[in-house]
Amino acid sequence: MDTLNELLNGFAAALTWQNLIFAFLGCLLGTVIGVLPGIGPVAGVALLIPLTLNMDPTGSIIMLCAIFYGTAYGGTITSVLLNTPGEAASAITTIDGHAMTLMGKAGAALTIAAIGSFVGGTIATLGLVAAAKPLGELGLLVGPPEFFALMVVGISLLVALAGKSMVKALISGALGLLISMVGIDPVAGAPRFTFGMDRLLDGVSFVAVIVGVFGLSEILSYRKGESTVVHAPGFRSLLPTGKEWRRSAPSMARGTGIGFGLGLIPGMTGSVASLLSYGAEKKFSKHRNELGKGAVEGVAGPETANNAHANAALIPLFTLGIPASPTIAVLMGAFLQQGLTPGPTLFTEHSEIAWAIIASLFIGNLLLVLLNVPLVGLWTSILRVPAPILTALILLFMVIGAYTINFSVFDVFVMIGFGLLGLALRHLEIPLAPMVLTLVLGPLMERSLRESLEISQGDFSIFLNRPISLVLIILGVLIICSPLLKLRKPKALMDDPEA
Amino acid sequence: MSRTKITAAIAAAALLALTGCGANAGATSAAGDDFPKKGKSIDLIVAFSSGGAVDTAARLVQPVLEKELGTNVEVINKPGAGGQIGYTQLTSAKPDGYTIGATGSPSVVVSPLDPSRGAKYTRDSFQPLGRQVIDPAVIAVQPDSPYKTLKELLDAAKANPKSLTASTTGLQTGEHFALAQIQETTGAEFAPVHFSEGASQATTAFLGKHVDILVANVSDVTDLTKQNKARVLGIMTAERSPSLPDVPTFKESGYDVEAGTARGYSAPAGLPDAVAKKLEAALQKAIEDPEVVKKMNDLGLQTSYLSGKDYQTFWAAQEADFKKVLPLVQKKD
Repeated sequence: MDTLNELLNGFAAALTWQNLIFAFLGCLLGTVIGVLPGIGPVAGVALLIPLTLNMDPTGSIIMLCAIFYGTAYGGTITSVLLNTPGEAASAITTIDGHAMTLMGKAGAALTIAAIGSFVGGTIATLGLVAAAKPLGELGLLVGPPEFFALMVVGISLLVALAGKSMVKALISGALGLLISMVGIDPVAGAPRFTFGMDRLLDGVSFVAVIVGVFGLSEILSYRKGESTVVHAPGFRSLLPTGKEWRRSAPSMARGTGIGFGLGLIPGMTGSVASLLSYGAEKKFSKHRNELGKGAVEGVAGPETANNAHANAALIPLFTLGIPASPTIAVLMGAFLQQGLTPGPTLFTEHSEIAWAIIASLFIGNLLLVLLNVPLVGLWTSILRVPAPILTALILLFMVIGAYTINFSVFDVFVMIGFGLLGLALRHLEIPLAPMVLTLVLGPLMERSLRESLEISQGDFSIFLNRPISLVLIILGVLIICSPLLKLRKPKALMDDPEA
Repeated sequence: MSRTKITAAIAAAALLALTGCGANAGATSAAGDDFPKKGKSIDLIVAFSSGGAVDTAARLVQPVLEKELGTNVEVINKPGAGGQIGYTQLTSAKPDGYTIGATGSPSVVVSPLDPSRGAKYTRDSFQPLGRQVIDPAVIAVQPDSPYKTLKELLDAAKANPKSLTASTTGLQTGEHFALAQIQETTGAEFAPVHFSEGASQATTAFLGKHVDILVANVSDVTDLTKQNKARVLGIMTAERSPSLPDVPTFKESGYDVEAGTARGYSAPAGLPDAVAKKLEAALQKAIEDPEVVKKMNDLGLQTSYLSGKDYQTFWAAQEADFKKVLPLVQKKD
């Protein structure tokens, strides 16, 4: 009952007209980012952080969360209509989605995707509501040693799952850690790696790095594509037939389960959820022989899974302070910049803000359905802007975004420098995700390590004396050693472009 | 590349024009009788990020200041390096009254004392204009702790030095100095655990029983006491706090320790007298405004105004206190 009351208060806060506008703007921007090829959710969210820095914490996080799951919707539109996924998580939807478009059923595909996303997102958010309190209580058991061990597990999972080569993933993770060390030592207050530059005392600007590595490098490696002229489907064809609804329902149920489960595991991305859901449809759906030829299940499953994942991935962030994917890590950076520490304290210290954000997730999911179904024509017309102009605009946004964090031109150069680094990493096929994660988690890991050692007065055995931390450390070691144990990764992970 | 630079420059210029945070050019009259000039805004630099206690207080006084001075007052956040970045910017600004800043101790007092931090300012670089609040330090134990009084706790810490862990919000913060002052005066030594994230992290660790003792400010513990999640044993001020009327001061328990954080407003040193007078008068009005005082109270913060001159005296006394215990709070590793 207590939780329900708090949620209702959260709705009261989220339904103020300012916060509604922020949620709406976030959904709008998120959808645009999802539609635009070349800006994935990671760079997109990072790019828009500076916009929200001077807003109040509740409004800014509401907006960023809306941007985050808005991208999960937006990518679908181009997948279905143009056969080009706007972002990685919607890649698999192109198969049946575009086939449906060719059959003249584009509207039905998009509506099913939107409704599926709404179902998945809403159920996952309900899960967050149910989990918030109990997990928050549990969170108090997590002291500095346990937190450090959790970070070890999170990072080792990501390293183990990222890309094809563990060595390359480790290089990427180490780079992120190294960058996160720049600045004033959080405990002793001594400058580190600042090369005598005052500008670096506060460390390298996180937003500038993310925008550079993820956004700019993507644009730099962009090949000129054909600009397609698309015709928005007429409204009448937007509604699926009763038969299509009936066929979609079981797929949506399966997609919700898969997305939700994977959302709880650090290191899994939305792409993995949609790929596995497609695999499940191939195994279990009644019409599996039609998959690939425009079967509605091939849209309903992955799209539901993708959004269930996006919303479920917020559960570990809100309750334990652990980012489950690179995008969530960026979101976490935004929380920290607003002076909110995600984790068990969020519900004790800032419970109004936390519940307002959760309430806004429900509102945002609804807004997205309303935005997406009637406005399909508008979204597709964005793609009629010639590629060079679009690219120039995106570049302009990146420069302004990097500049406005601290109003410093230095940050713009940081962004450009990291854009070139990102380009080099892409060429070397070094995955970028581990770097982002360690960049965000590095300072937290370091802090919890040093706090633990202050508690134990320098005795490292504190990590092995405490049961929770011992189990986690063993788990982390096992994950890192898994290639030696010849454990096979799911094939879906091998081709995950986001990792 | 050059195009990006041009774009950056254009974007920068446009944003500068929009935000109006260009440099304050223009000559000031020596007497400062015409301060503040119509339409010329005053920057109030806050050396901490938005949403924190320093920022909240500054944004509460800002509208009243605007009314009193008849010009725009812009709160500008320059967080980082424990306040050092913002303080550097404040002290290197022109002393013409158009740049003032929020100054909080211990951060502003301590950063120049430690040569390793390379601060470009000293206490003499600031001209204090007025103190707004003091937030005394308190020491609390778990509700089920065997220590019922401050004396029991300190005696236990004396008997076994460093056997009890105590939270701070980071190296050389108010809490860390409070612990050092306790050690200096009473000989009781705790093992400090620095939660540099701030009070919320420290409190969580205390609630999860990962540290034994919570050292915090009054405003941090008022709610915890109400919920019976912490037992406050002592408060480090001369008089009991209205928010914690049942908690004895250290003095009452027989220990001469006063510690805590204090926050006020200062300008770069060398203001013309007329300008300083106007700013001080406006600040006093703003700090003592009943509405502002009430909102500060809601945050658990006790308004305690001191004029510029008295704030300066208080500052010097704090510096002397801190200097005494500085060796105890420097990292020795």
